[in-house]
Amino acid sequence: MPQPVQYRGMALIVPDNDSEWKEFYEHARAHRLVVRKCKACGLMRYPPTHACPWCMELGWTWHEVSGSGTIYSYEIVAHAIQPGFKEMTPYAVVLVELDEQRGQPTPDEALRVIANLVKPDFTPEAEANVAIGRRVRVVFQDLADHMALPQFGLTDEPPVGRVWRLPE
Amino acid sequence: MVVQSRGLRDRYCIVGVGETEYSRASGRTTRAMAVEAIRKAILDAGLKAADVDGMLDYQGGDSTLANSVASDLGIRFNFYMDVMGGGSSTEALVGLAMGAIEAGMCNTVAIYRSMNGYSEFRIGGTGARAAQPVRGLDLAQVPYGMRSAGQNFAPTFMRHMYEYGTTSAQVAHVRVTHSKHASQNPKALLKQRVTVQDVLASRWIVKPLHLLDCCLETDNATCVIVTSAERARNLRHRPVYIMGVAGRVSKPRLDFHWAHGPISRVAGYYAKDIIFPQAGIGPEDVHVTGSYDAFTFTTMLQLEEYGFCKKGEGGAYVSSGIIELGGKRPNNTSGSHLCEGYTHGMSMVIENVRQLRGTVDDYCPRAAEGVHTYDYSPGRCRQVKDAEITMNLGWAMPATGSALIMRR
Repeated sequence: MPQPVQYRGMALIVPDNDSEWKEFYEHARAHRLVVRKCKACGLMRYPPTHACPWCMELGWTWHEVSGSGTIYSYEIVAHAIQPGFKEMTPYAVVLVELDEQRGQPTPDEALRVIANLVKPDFTPEAEANVAIGRRVRVVFQDLADHMALPQFGLTDEPPVGRVWRLPE
Repeated sequence: MVVQSRGLRDRYCIVGVGETEYSRASGRTTRAMAVEAIRKAILDAGLKAADVDGMLDYQGGDSTLANSVASDLGIRFNFYMDVMGGGSSTEALVGLAMGAIEAGMCNTVAIYRSMNGYSEFRIGGTGARAAQPVRGLDLAQVPYGMRSAGQNFAPTFMRHMYEYGTTSAQVAHVRVTHSKHASQNPKALLKQRVTVQDVLASRWIVKPLHLLDCCLETDNATCVIVTSAERARNLRHRPVYIMGVAGRVSKPRLDFHWAHGPISRVAGYYAKDIIFPQAGIGPEDVHVTGSYDAFTFTTMLQLEEYGFCKKGEGGAYVSSGIIELGGKRPNNTSGSHLCEGYTHGMSMVIENVRQLRGTVDDYCPRAAEGVHTYDYSPGRCRQVKDAEITMNLGWAMPATGSALIMRR
């Protein structure tokens, strides 16, 4: 794959021997959000790892998830560290809990993903709309012919649990 | 998994401490600073260079290795190791030093950290670190503008606010308290006392963190020296005994700790079950705490997790006055990372050693002799009267932490 992919002044490096991420981003470029699913116990995990953290099985398959989830926590970056993000401030980084495998295998575990909360044009979602409990769905920001970044956008679905955002 | 205590309580001591000036422009190398801090610690202990035969240091590609600083000082090693690591390494390396001595590898270990954390490699990530290529596990966060420590930790605090109703004003008291303590510390970079309103009115860095919720990037080097209790009894200061230590204890799924909640839980939840049985005490027996105040809220999370208050009540605890000088259990009496200067955890251990000796370097004219006024008004005393047991709460990130309990 052509390397590196430039995004917001960062060099994103996913070489051909990247046995964690290369295929993940190829799926993302085809607008599929995939996670690794254990061939033995069937549990899914993210980010990509090489053994099942619950049963140590080495076998796994890529499994496409719906990309629907709920904001579990978030932050609003006002002071960007990376130069390419300065023009994007304030921007939201969200911790999304996916609908699949919530509370498994123990009540506090879940498939959670970090991304930005963005509008359809991939600019940051307005801060007033960012809240724990709001429903989101994955969108894909194409960066190159072989790579896209999963991001999340708000949906119209009713929230899950208590909707909460940092008091003004 | 239960970790079996090895019966080493009170068998090892910290006998020497030293540091350079805290500044924002050291104008010299990390090698030069390390040499100064180690030399001061050796002299503080009443040792000679030839008595130090072990060395441990930690860094993140931003410092000088042990081989050159030891040679500068004329030290020959029986044991040394350079460690990759940041916060929470201090306490972990104290434990490793005990292990190296216990194994018969060496007699006395100097542990140092040296960094131009503001003028060269900014700990907060601005500059060289922000420009590094992104690969491997970093791809899960960094492409989303989540690179600095504040950006990495903020969702933990946000979720704590959601779950427990913790407020910005409550944790602002940590800054207020540490600024009071720094006002009694001639070494501190920020000696000005601040108010809760000052914290809340400071600009946002990454919500829910204001500028004054964040610590202070600093140039400095620091050193502590560990040896056996038998050797310690013949040295310059009253021995400070190590009662227990826990090093780099982690939550599950350290690759991506967000996967394993509750995310408002931090590593001290696991470390407490190692260190308190070793020390044979509980949190109620601790007189002075030294939290890792990279941010205001990290102090709160650590104090909760080690049981100084109930989980979820940390906001009330840190805003109650308990953690102030003159309170029931003062925390970070030097002003530490938020106000004194950022040292990657070393300075809070140094401060507690001095507290236990009774010779905290405040403004009391005879502080070095252990004569203090216990007047905690600005520019006066910061010695805790009759401090007998201290506890350090090291932090690397929400999912990794260390701890150290010492007594006089």
